[in-house]
Amino acid sequence: MNYIVRRMLQIIPVLLIISFIVFTLVFIAGDPVALMLPDDATLEEIEQLRESIGLNEPFYVQYGSYVFRVVQGDFGESFRYGQDALSVVWERLPATFELAIAAIIIAIMVAIPFGIWSATKQNSSIDLIATGAAVVGKAMPNFWLGIMLILFFSVTLGVLPVSGRGSFAHLILPAITLGTGIAAEMTRLIRSSMLEILNQDYIRTAKSKGIKSVQVIYKHAFRNALIPFVTITALQTSTLIGGALITETVFAWPGIGQLLIQAVNTRDMAIVQACVMIIAAIVILMNLLADIIYRILDPRIKLD
Amino acid sequence: MGESFIQLKNLKTYFHTEEGTVPAVDDVSLSIKKGETLAIVGESGSGKSVTSLSLMRLIEPPGRIESGEILFEGHNLVDYSKKKMRAVRGNKIAMIFQEPLTSLNPVFTVGNQISESIIEHQNKSKKEAKQLVIEMLTKVGIPRPEKVFHSYPHALSGGMRQRVMIAMALSCNPELLIADEPTTALDVTIQAQILTLMKELIREFETSILLITHDLGVVAEMADRVIVMYGGQIVEETDVYTLFKHPKHPYTKGLLASTPKVHELKEELISISGTVPNPLDYPIGCRFADRCESVMETCRTVHPELKEIKPGHTVRCWLHE
Amino acid sequence: MGEQSKTIIDADSQAYMRKRNGTFKRWSKLLLRSKTGTVGLLIVLFIVFVAVFAPLLAPYNPNAINPSSLHVPPSWMEGGSTAHLLGTDNLGRDILSRIIYGSQVSLLVGIAAVLLSGIIGVSIGLISGFYGGFLDNILMRFVDSFLAIPTILFSLVFLAVFGPSIMTLIVVLGLTNWTSYARLVRGEVLSIKERDFVRAARSIGVKNNKIITRHLMPNVISTFIVISTLSVASTIILESSLSFLGLGIQPPTVSWGTVLSDGRDYLATSWWLATFPGIAITITVLGIIFLGDWLRDVLDPRTK
Repeated sequence: MNYIVRRMLQIIPVLLIISFIVFTLVFIAGDPVALMLPDDATLEEIEQLRESIGLNEPFYVQYGSYVFRVVQGDFGESFRYGQDALSVVWERLPATFELAIAAIIIAIMVAIPFGIWSATKQNSSIDLIATGAAVVGKAMPNFWLGIMLILFFSVTLGVLPVSGRGSFAHLILPAITLGTGIAAEMTRLIRSSMLEILNQDYIRTAKSKGIKSVQVIYKHAFRNALIPFVTITALQTSTLIGGALITETVFAWPGIGQLLIQAVNTRDMAIVQACVMIIAAIVILMNLLADIIYRILDPRIKLD
Repeated sequence: MGESFIQLKNLKTYFHTEEGTVPAVDDVSLSIKKGETLAIVGESGSGKSVTSLSLMRLIEPPGRIESGEILFEGHNLVDYSKKKMRAVRGNKIAMIFQEPLTSLNPVFTVGNQISESIIEHQNKSKKEAKQLVIEMLTKVGIPRPEKVFHSYPHALSGGMRQRVMIAMALSCNPELLIADEPTTALDVTIQAQILTLMKELIREFETSILLITHDLGVVAEMADRVIVMYGGQIVEETDVYTLFKHPKHPYTKGLLASTPKVHELKEELISISGTVPNPLDYPIGCRFADRCESVMETCRTVHPELKEIKPGHTVRCWLHE
Repeated sequence: MGEQSKTIIDADSQAYMRKRNGTFKRWSKLLLRSKTGTVGLLIVLFIVFVAVFAPLLAPYNPNAINPSSLHVPPSWMEGGSTAHLLGTDNLGRDILSRIIYGSQVSLLVGIAAVLLSGIIGVSIGLISGFYGGFLDNILMRFVDSFLAIPTILFSLVFLAVFGPSIMTLIVVLGLTNWTSYARLVRGEVLSIKERDFVRAARSIGVKNNKIITRHLMPNVISTFIVISTLSVASTIILESSLSFLGLGIQPPTVSWGTVLSDGRDYLATSWWLATFPGIAITITVLGIIFLGDWLRDVLDPRTK
């Protein structure tokens, strides 16, 4: 457990660095006051507000008090929503989680069978199709894929809703859009690790025991391939959230991606900062989780 | 010693690589009698390991058994379906490998891995299998078998791992045990222990052994009969006594000359001047001609056949026509 | 004596390089053997050709508005004309010309941003790997911080602060994408550092910066080329995503992302507006991935 504690402690400087970068950017971005007051505010009113929210203090003082506030979960008030930024972000998280989990489920359902098939039947037609589809899936920008899916299923066939959240039908297209890129990456990963593992001595040993080839592939080989698969998938959280930002915009999915992009467009910096810090925290926690899972899956490494 | 129960007849296993076809096993015939230990000796690339893998039908593409027969208890294994072949593997013919660490799956316990073949071939439940595994672990001299049953391979020493491999191979009481360089990866003292253990066990289980090795020390210790392979072919076959006392093929002589006395082990035991010929492009004559001290005109132009020069002693060499 | 040992060390270092990089002849032989590598190279050469000769190849000015031919479908469809092979948009602009000009932005931003991130990443990786210790620790925490924020999120915040333009876009994408270089180069340096020729160079008192430029830099070049190629692909997708979101390239400059974004509003009537730019992106990225994968197979001995 010592190890996990050490890893947790490493998170602190990382979050500090991120908060510093974000704060610096916002600092450079300049005066939020102009956006917070009506257009016809007098200079006096502006100055008063500046003084009251500490904008006349030097950079490091401002950063210090910023960190102090952030640690307490206070990212300031969103002027667009007129409430605490963190709670605005918090309200949007479940939608993003729903989308992300659906996308991962789709990706796993596609990638595991295709990755394994193409590795066990290397250079067969199924392998060519799977690897070909994977590389095309990786090359397609997911916003375009989303639009093409809308074009086909919503505009042409009229069977699925164009945008929004609510029913299961609403989830299908965004989840496929976000899931495709992940599935492509996963398929490549499973294929290549399975190919490597199938060449290992212990696979030959397993075969020499006369057990079924299903058992050789799904027990002996896949259990080993699972180690890099789960680890790398958890490490892909950052890519997943990046993809979710765009997918949510395409489908008007009310998650933090859509929230963030609206906030960037309206320069609602409290929301932007809260989003960045929350997303970074999620990514870091997932990375930590990846590390722990890796240690659980691989008996060669002890958890201490 | 009884009649021969396994026979290879004119076995050819070729690898079809991008560069060309490699005849890894080129027309090999051999037979093993009940309770006998047959050793195949040769340098790496001589085809000795591929011969043993062919026998198990474990050749993977681009490799392929081109022709020949593997006769086992009157049946030709080459014609066996995958399913029938699986019933032979690990059950009637079992195998142990050179590197016990990489040959054991790192993510499963020792018990799990040994149980597998018992469950597969003997229709035993998990519980019954565990009982048998612990018995086997005791037989191969593993202390505290209950604990080792639940251990992962990496937690064991090299010698212990090889004992586990042996337990795994013998768990279904096979007729033939193929041992591919069983001691090469081990420390010298451990090597001796493992060899002693194997000798005890074959006596107890009455198993025949096909021993693949480059180590003539191991051959002297274990084998009844010896086959020397070079360039995918058998170049000499005889009993172990004759091999050491009256070797006929210049290659065999070279091997013996470059081998220190038994138990005086060195890193690289075989060192004959020159290199193994390119298997993509074997010479038309004798494959050993370029490295042979007694090379003659004929050797370079005509390929020698395997000839029986005395009962039970065959040689592939123009010197012994 | 000193000179002589230097010569020997140099020769050793070069031999190691040669072993890894191979000769031009070997390369071209390997390239022709790989079908996907050849296809990738051809696609990339084609896109470069199109981008360079865009003014000669494009039938129209990409921004020329033509009120008499609005929403003209592609030439092979009913109502299409050979005057506009891929049709026109809501303002009568020729889609083919817009796509041809769009390639300029994609390549310019892709290559320039990757060069910038390459310079940053390689420098940090070299310093971090070579000097190690406290500095290494700090720099790696920086890398962790950047990895915890999805690239697109980072770019969005940057663009929100500095306002969108081609220059900002290049700088932003350059600043957010350097971590993969830093990590890989650092790893490479750590392993090369222990090789005999570097130890020998150190033992005869060759200065650190000379060891870096003479022995380490040449050896990380192959890694550099592989990551760069694949980064160009992901940067092109990123640029088009940001442009799609309205935060990247601004009119009148034409980017595939903005063309796609414009077309999104007319999905129901003019499917071709959003379809063709997406195909252009996908094919370009596909070509670069093919080329990059081939380069990795040839240059990176670890994947063999």
